Amino acid sequence: MNESAENKKNNETLVKTVVVVGGGIAGWLTAGRLAAKHKANTEKGLKVILVESPTIPAIGVGEGTWPTMRSTLIALGISETDFIRECDASFKQGAKFAKWVDGNEGDFYYHPLVLPQGYGQAEVAAHWLARQGQEGVGSFSHEVCFQEAICEQGLAPKTIRTAEFSDVANYAYHLDSGKFAVFLQKHCTNKLGVTHILDDVTAINTAENNDIASVSTNNNKDICGDLFVDCTGFSSLLLGKHYQVPFKSCSDVLFIDTALAVQVPYDNEDSPIASHTISTGQEAGWIWDIGLQHRRGVGYVYSSKYSTEEQARAVLADYVGDNISSLPIRKIPIVSGYRETFWKNNCVAVGLSAGFLEPLEASALVMVELAAQMISEQLPQSRGIMNVVAKRFNETTHYRWQRIIDFLKLHYVLSKRNEPFWVDNRAKETIPESLQDLMDLWEYRSPADCDFTSNNEVFPAASYQYVLYGMGFKSDYSHAPYILDDIDFADYQFSKNKKLIDTAVSTLPTNRELLNKIKTFGFSTI
Amino acid sequence: MANLVAVDNKNHRTLQIDIRKLALHGAKLNMIPVVLSEFSSAATQYPLAITKDGETGEFVCIALLGFETGENLFWSNGEWQGLYLPLHIRRQPFFVGNPITHHKVQSDNIDHIVCVDSESPAITSEGGMNLFDERGLDSDYFQQTKACLAELLSGEAESKRLIENLQAMDLLQSLSLKITFKNQTSTRLNGLYTVNKEALAKLVDEQILQLHKLGLLAAIQILSNSLGQVQTLIDLKNNRLEH
Repeated sequence: MNESAENKKNNETLVKTVVVVGGGIAGWLTAGRLAAKHKANTEKGLKVILVESPTIPAIGVGEGTWPTMRSTLIALGISETDFIRECDASFKQGAKFAKWVDGNEGDFYYHPLVLPQGYGQAEVAAHWLARQGQEGVGSFSHEVCFQEAICEQGLAPKTIRTAEFSDVANYAYHLDSGKFAVFLQKHCTNKLGVTHILDDVTAINTAENNDIASVSTNNNKDICGDLFVDCTGFSSLLLGKHYQVPFKSCSDVLFIDTALAVQVPYDNEDSPIASHTISTGQEAGWIWDIGLQHRRGVGYVYSSKYSTEEQARAVLADYVGDNISSLPIRKIPIVSGYRETFWKNNCVAVGLSAGFLEPLEASALVMVELAAQMISEQLPQSRGIMNVVAKRFNETTHYRWQRIIDFLKLHYVLSKRNEPFWVDNRAKETIPESLQDLMDLWEYRSPADCDFTSNNEVFPAASYQYVLYGMGFKSDYSHAPYILDDIDFADYQFSKNKKLIDTAVSTLPTNRELLNKIKTFGFSTI
Repeated sequence: MANLVAVDNKNHRTLQIDIRKLALHGAKLNMIPVVLSEFSSAATQYPLAITKDGETGEFVCIALLGFETGENLFWSNGEWQGLYLPLHIRRQPFFVGNPITHHKVQSDNIDHIVCVDSESPAITSEGGMNLFDERGLDSDYFQQTKACLAELLSGEAESKRLIENLQAMDLLQSLSLKITFKNQTSTRLNGLYTVNKEALAKLVDEQILQLHKLGLLAAIQILSNSLGQVQTLIDLKNNRLEH
C-alpha cells in the first residue's frame, strides 16, 4: 500500500526543474535548447540550472560541425553574424579525404554536403560507374556535385548578399570550441534564462526510487531537480560513476585510441582558409586539418598498437612543418564507444559522458545536437511518463551510435593501403555485420534511401555513395543493363553539374574574403 | 573602370563636360541607386525596390530599369527616354571622395573633395560645359552639379535611416517575380526586396509616429506603390521584343 502510494506520488511529480551538470558545449547546447523551447526566461517556463566546475577545464574536442548546427543556432535564437565573429568560426563544406585509398600523391576524394545532382530521380551513380575511366570523366564527387570544385578553389558556400543561415551550397561550420562554449554561456544566461552556478559537485543524493534528488556543491546548497543531464565529459559523473552504467567499447571495430592535437597559426593574414575539413591518411591513422579564422586546428589520431608516440609525433611534425617545434602539442586519449544506456532513472547523458568516437565525420557535436533536440522536444511532463521517453531516447541513441560506427568503419574497409594498421582494419572479424550486409547489397546496386529506413538516420544514403565510389568501390549493374537506359536524363544531370560549377566558381568569393566581409558588414536576416 | 582625380581650377580649367553624353553612364544599368528626395519623381516611371550591394551585402534603394544585367529599357536611340533622370546620372562624371585611395567614400568631413572620373565618355575639349569661368570660379553648371552631389550625400544618409528602420521594424520582405513576355519567354526577378504591407499595417501607433517624424512614412508608401511600374517595364520590353 505504502509503496504504491509513494510511487503514485512520484509519478505525479511534474518536471519543473532541469539541472545540467557540466558546462562545455554539450551542457550549454542542452541547457539552451531546453530553455528556448520551454521558455525558461518566463515565469511559467521550465527552470533550467547549469552547474559547472570552476576548476575542471572543458576538453574542447569537436571543432567541426554538421549543417544541423545552423538549425540548432536558429532554435537558440542566435545571429549567424555574432556566432561567426565571436567563435572564430568559418565555413565547412564537407570533407576531403586524402591518401585514404592507396596513400599516393593525388589520392583523394570528397564527401561534400550537397547531394549528388539528380539524386533520388534516377541512378546517377550507376551512370557514373558506367562512364568511369572514359576520357574527360572525373571522380564521382567531381562529376555529380558542384561543391567539390568550390572547395578545391577555396571558395565560400555563399556571398555577403545571401541572408544569414541561407546558402548557395549546403554548409556547416568549423569553430573554436572554447570560444563557442563561452559564447553559448553568454547567450543562454543573458537571453534564454538559464541559471548558471559555478561550483564543484561534491555528492549525488538519491531519492527512495533511486532517482537523483539533488547534487551537493561546495558553496551552494544542494541543487534539487526533476531531471539531471550529465554533461561531465569523459568522467561521466552521474551516468557512469553514480549509476555505474557500463561503457561499451568498440575498439575491436575502430582502432584509433590516441590523438595528438596542435594549433597552427596561418603564415599571414591573407593565407587561404580551407572551406572543408582535410583528412589525410597516415601509417597508423589519419590527420585532421580544420581551418578557423585565426588558426588551423590539426591533429593526428592513431592507434597506439601500431605506432609509438614518438613515431606519431614525427608523422604530425612532417605534416605541419618546421614551425611545429614552437607549438604545444596536446595528447588526448580516445576511448571509442558509448554507454549501454544513456537515460537511466531521471538522468540522461549528453556529450562525451555518453560516448565518443574518432572525429572522422564530426559526429561529436551532431550527437550532442540530436540529443539536446530530442530531450527538449520530448521533455516528459511528469516523472510518470519519463521512463517511456527514456526508453525511446535509449533506442534511438543506440541506433545512431551504431550507424555512425558502421559509417566510420566503411572508410577503413575500403582502403587499399598496406600498412598493418590498414590491413588489420579490413579483417572480416572487425567489420560489423550490419555494415557487411549493406556492402553485400551494394555489390549489385548503389546505396539508396530504402537501405536506411529509420526516421532517426544520421547519414543519408548519399553519404555512403560518396565514400564508396570515392574509394573505388564498384557496384555491378551488368545484371540490369536497362538501369542505364535513361541516358538523356543522365547526360542532362552531368552537364547541369558542370554548369553549376561554372556559375559557382565565377560568383562565389573566397572563404577568407567572405569571412572578412562578415566581420565588417555582417549578414542580413532576409 | 572609373579613375577618380580631384578637381581643381588649375588642372581642370579647360575641362568640359558634354552633358548630352552623361546618360551614357546609365546606358547599360538595369538598376540605378536612388535617394529618398527623388523617390516621388522616380516613381512616376520606374519601379523602386531595395537590393543588396554586391560588395557589402548592405541594403540599397534602387530604381529598376530592366530585367537582366546590362538591360536599360529606358535607353534607346542613344538617349535616355525616361522623364526623370536620376541624380546618380546627373552627377556624372563627378564623385565625392578621397582622390588618394580612389575610393568613393561617404565621409563625415565637412570639406568634401569633388573628384572627376577622367575616363568618363562625357569629357570633351570643346562644345561642352566648362567647370570654371575665366576667373577660375565655379561655373553655374558646376554649381548645379555640386548641388546634385550634396543632395546625393544627404540622401544617402536618409536612405540608410530608412533601411535601418525597415529592418528594425521587420518591414522588409524579399520579392520574387516571374514575368512572362508577349513572346512567351519568361524571366524571374530575384534579389529584390520591398515593403511588407501586412507588417506595415500591423505597426503600433508609436512606430507609425516614429516613421512619420523621421520623414520616412511617405517614402515607404512610394516604395511600396511604385512596384506597379513593373508593368511599365514589361510594356517597354514587349515593345522591344516586337521590333
